[in-house]
Amino acid sequence: MGTIRMDRRLFLKAAGVTAGAAATTQVACLSYFKKGRSAAAENREVPTTCELCPNKCSAIAVVEGGLVKKLNPNPENPKSRDMLCARGNAAIKQVYDPDRIKKPMIRMGARGEGKWKEVSWDEAFDFAAKKLAEVKAKHGPEASLWSSTEGFQEVFFKNLGLAFGSPNLVRHPTLCLASVNLAYSATFGTVPSFDLLNSRYVIMSGANRFESIITPDTMDLIGGVMERKAKLIYLDPRFTVTAAKADEWYPIKPGTDLAFILAMIHVIIKENRHSKDFVAAFTTGFDELAEHVKQYTPEWAEKETEIPAKDISRIAREFADAAPRSLYYAGRRSSWYQNDFQMRRAQAILNAIIGNWDQVGGMVPNAKLPKGEFLFMPWDEPKAPRVDEIEKHFPLAAKGDGVYLKLRENVLSGKPYPIKAWMVYKQDPMNAMPDQAKTLKMIEGMDFIGVIDVAMSDMAWYADVVFPESAYLERTDPVEVMAGIWPAVVYRQQVVKPIHDTKPNLEIVQGLAKRLGLSDYFDYTIEQWVEAEFKELPIPMAMEHMKKHGVWAASGKPVYGKTLTPDFRFVTKTGKIELFSQRLQEAGYDPLPAYTAPVQPPDDRFRLILGRVGYFTHANQTNNVWLNEFMKENDLWINPKPAERLGIRNGALVEVASSVGKVKLKARVTEEIRPDCVFMLHGFGKKSKLQSLVYNVGASDAVLLETAWDKVSGNAAFHETFVKVANA
Amino acid sequence: MRNTLRLLTLLAVLAAPLAAEGGSDTKGKFFFKKTCKACHAPGTPAKEITPLSKTQAQWKAYFAAGKHKKGAEKLDSVLKPEQVKDVQTFLVNHASDSPQPETCGG
Ligand code: SF4
Repeated sequence: MGTIRMDRRLFLKAAGVTAGAAATTQVACLSYFKKGRSAAAENREVPTTCELCPNKCSAIAVVEGGLVKKLNPNPENPKSRDMLCARGNAAIKQVYDPDRIKKPMIRMGARGEGKWKEVSWDEAFDFAAKKLAEVKAKHGPEASLWSSTEGFQEVFFKNLGLAFGSPNLVRHPTLCLASVNLAYSATFGTVPSFDLLNSRYVIMSGANRFESIITPDTMDLIGGVMERKAKLIYLDPRFTVTAAKADEWYPIKPGTDLAFILAMIHVIIKENRHSKDFVAAFTTGFDELAEHVKQYTPEWAEKETEIPAKDISRIAREFADAAPRSLYYAGRRSSWYQNDFQMRRAQAILNAIIGNWDQVGGMVPNAKLPKGEFLFMPWDEPKAPRVDEIEKHFPLAAKGDGVYLKLRENVLSGKPYPIKAWMVYKQDPMNAMPDQAKTLKMIEGMDFIGVIDVAMSDMAWYADVVFPESAYLERTDPVEVMAGIWPAVVYRQQVVKPIHDTKPNLEIVQGLAKRLGLSDYFDYTIEQWVEAEFKELPIPMAMEHMKKHGVWAASGKPVYGKTLTPDFRFVTKTGKIELFSQRLQEAGYDPLPAYTAPVQPPDDRFRLILGRVGYFTHANQTNNVWLNEFMKENDLWINPKPAERLGIRNGALVEVASSVGKVKLKARVTEEIRPDCVFMLHGFGKKSKLQSLVYNVGASDAVLLETAWDKVSGNAAFHETFVKVANA
Repeated sequence: MRNTLRLLTLLAVLAAPLAAEGGSDTKGKFFFKKTCKACHAPGTPAKEITPLSKTQAQWKAYFAAGKHKKGAEKLDSVLKPEQVKDVQTFLVNHASDSPQPETCGG
């Protein structure tokens, strides 16, 4: 017991929780601690890489008596520095979670009924391979769908789908950041990093950086803002933590950010405040841009955004005057509106014309470091076209990621061809996709569903077979290059042996491949794979270094201005930064961002907006026993004016209904949100009983959200749903 | 690796029909890394080459000419004739002016 209490106290301290908040202690998993304890007590420290989010922070695991006792930050990684966030610290509880899937399981009852039989790995592999082979024989390999999300072992899963012959890999970006990635790629040929540490003037639209994901970048910004080295302008319909720390907060009318940005460009160009030298040397299409933005005056934008014209003009001037150490921050999740791509394009263009590219305190193209590659046997390209018809509907989108919502529509319609098997790795489409009823329909139509995951997500709960993956602290993974201002190569190595009958994804993929006649494509071990990657690290004794340090960061110093040479070619059609985009025009889109006013909710409804907090950035983290202590349940933020009109009191149970579903949760009556919006956190109201802390607790936004997407990138538009709210 | 021989024999068989149809990006990447990168990598005497070294039109022109070592030898004396189309497909798909939106991981 003492050991556990100690861990927890250290964790809460590291995560900044007060003694009062920590008073209600939930000590769980004692049996798992005991079970995981090895006979020979051992004390050691193992450098590895956190997997709880894509930030890939370097950690040092402290192992005592065969158990992971604590995770410390590894200061050798300049990107993660001496910090692990709350989620990173709580990764210990991913291993010792009593809800974990401890053996492969095959469904016995109806899908979602929760009746399972524990089986051997052989039984699970045989069962899945037989089902996949049946679908292939009947409908062709393209009738299988392979869904996955970012992770060091994701590559093996994707390769299994491709080797099986399916073109239908679908990944998370179109449920997250596809629009921002495509907008910056279309403008600069790449997605840069934002030098928040050195910036003097930062504008954020809705990117709730102080609250929704806490990484060292967040700390840089906090440092800058709190010491008043940087000015922060923040636009959000909600008064978030970021709003509280900002110099100026504007509760912008939802969906109108593009009008604000276009008006800023208008002012900057009209007043000749853009960087003329930079624009002339590195960009193309400035004259077309100047002509295009003449219509977008601050007075016009005031009517759209409800931000006073004089403030828009002043902010534009301050922003340009602070250049190049000013930036319009891109944010991470950019799945908001159906015009999301064009809104992000406008941000990219605004950044470009003030010349903050590759400058201290501006946007910095990501530096990379070399690593080797394991050359595995390549397969024949899948022959069928993709089921989401990406080439036809989203010709510029990232082909390897697919477009999730269009894909679901096509699967449901059975056109252009049927999908009958669904393999899922490390992803929970039940909560990640809007309109859960539609996802359930898609599940109903499958002859076979297999899920590989560490925990019993809602998606796993509806599967036919579940393959338990080892937690990251129990695995060795491929090496990863973290491109960025401070590039680093990171290594995730096994800290403790799996405490349950689980396997790393590669071995799960190999077990399936063997039975599908695809073994030749996966004829290697993780050690051989990693060795090939280490081979080309330009450091002596690379493998020894990486095993000992877990990270290599070259000089660890940022380099600016490498692309600011006359012969540098941007990876765009023209080789320049494209303010005007011919490629967009040829694909039938606006070559410069054009504004269309978003539809606003009728009087009896609210716009539903979503968000995250730093301890639950991902939906799968609400069931972590340490993180769950921060918040047990989500609620619905509603402004006092409409609340009074509807007779809703703070803490009352309310019913929230959209055109596709309804949920019940408690109301939080607060001035901190506009009267035309309501807000809820992601990640609650789970259907899986092995998410025991959040099973049926609070509500899932996925039940309410309607299907809508951005026209260019196909990114889901999560803030386009209008809901009715009433006392339950 | 115990499968290397089997792998190479199999590849030669697999590559032939696809090459005639227009090339495989996956196989092209494999042959490019295996053959071209053996010399055209950093720290080797030959100039480093990546798909970004040329535009799509430049790669197409390079393969149309079919010459290697500044014209000193034919390209298909370095790469097997059936592999040339795959490598071309890979390099054109990832050329410096090709549309290559960035993704997250993967
Ligand atoms: S930000 Fe937190 S969860 Fe993400 S990698 Fe770093 S420590 Fe892990």
